[in-house]
Amino acid sequence: MIPRQFFITVTVLFVLTIAMSVYVWQLRRRESRSPRLPEKTEHVAPPNSGSMEQVTVYVAYDTPGELREKSLSIALAAGRQQRAEGLLRALISLYTAKDSSHPMASGAEIRQVFLVDPGLAVIDVNSAFVEGQISGVLPEELTIASLVQTLATNIPELTRVKILVDGKEQETLAGHADLSGFYDVRQIAEVTKELSPQ
Amino acid sequence: MPSNSSDGRVRLGPYQRAAVGVLLLPLALIAAQSVSPSGTSQSQTQSQTSAAPNQPGQPLPNQPPDQAQPPVQPIATPPKPLIMIDPAHGGSDSGAILNPTILEKDVTLALARRLRLDLGARGFVAELVRDSDQNLSSDDRAAKANAFHPALYVCLHATSESGGVGVYTAMLAENGETNGPFVDWNTAQFSFLPASRSAQQDIAAIIQKSGMPARSLATRLRPLANLTNPAVAVELAPRKADVSQLLAMDFQENISAALANGIAQFLSESKANPGASQ
Repeated sequence: MIPRQFFITVTVLFVLTIAMSVYVWQLRRRESRSPRLPEKTEHVAPPNSGSMEQVTVYVAYDTPGELREKSLSIALAAGRQQRAEGLLRALISLYTAKDSSHPMASGAEIRQVFLVDPGLAVIDVNSAFVEGQISGVLPEELTIASLVQTLATNIPELTRVKILVDGKEQETLAGHADLSGFYDVRQIAEVTKELSPQ
Repeated sequence: MPSNSSDGRVRLGPYQRAAVGVLLLPLALIAAQSVSPSGTSQSQTQSQTSAAPNQPGQPLPNQPPDQAQPPVQPIATPPKPLIMIDPAHGGSDSGAILNPTILEKDVTLALARRLRLDLGARGFVAELVRDSDQNLSSDDRAAKANAFHPALYVCLHATSESGGVGVYTAMLAENGETNGPFVDWNTAQFSFLPASRSAQQDIAAIIQKSGMPARSLATRLRPLANLTNPAVAVELAPRKADVSQLLAMDFQENISAALANGIAQFLSESKANPGASQ
């Protein structure tokens, strides 16, 4: 014969299992009915940890295909690499803003900048940066020149720049600008001169 | 033993004749080798060979002037300059999606075909790197163009941004390692950059003359750096961001005519100053 206490325990556990199953089923039903919030892809600006500084950036204008010098006041960290990242992130925030002169996808971001002596900078951008890039020789050249010239103006010892996408080498930016090699800072300076408003 | 006949001749016995025959056989063979199959001797052949450099109409040195034939000038037709036109992208690589119905690869192919006709009308030979919707890597394009040794390579692109027509040359900081006839693939264009810049200036100037804004820039665009001949890339851009204009008949006619005139200008200059081609 089954003891009475054992029978009561099994019955209570069975009732609890049924109740939990009903509760979980209701939670899943509620979750599937509620509308999903869109994923936030906007660039999140890093916290401003440094002092405010006046810097020069080179801003691309798709129409009429120019590169214009602009002064910005931004907070920059003390470290060289952090400064370089801060500079380029400030530049990209101009491109991801509404009514940008050189529109980029809202998720476009500079992941990291590595400064390798002597004179080499490696800019690592994310895939949204590349996917939102307007395809064309001139639009891509404007992006590259804008990044390189901004960095070179604020880091005078720079001689070469390499661009990676998600930490990997990519053949082109958006079908045209060759990313397989290094960009020579002097040659980009000449291109910047040609692209400056006459 | 040889015996003397009555007429004073020496008569040989059968064994003696055979011995003389064996001794004379090598001499006979040497004499036969010195005579050519046509019956002329080696000395005659040598004298004809030495006379060969003379042109057909020129008198031979030992020929009297009155017997010399009148000089005939050979009709020399200089080969027509070859222009290699490369419609960028193709196949699965559509290039820029200019609008939902217009792809860069179609714009470049249409313009390339028109430019081939315009160049043909100006007396040049033009070849297309691709004449259909096919996939070609940038290395394939460079290899194909280099194999033809064209007087000029023109790569065609198109964009949706209205920044004017861009004429581009390769952006190369320095020459790579060369080893005799072998040049570095990534900087093969380096020694041709002066000629490429000359073509760039001529083409941009003619486009501007035709009323379209044009600019000259250096760019890192494959396969420009891999070409062993003067090479430029041309990127079309619509006026006032109207992308449909890029496939319009009148727009393509105007740009193609301007390009053909610019190329003709460059080729006439490089013909007048051949040293500038490298």
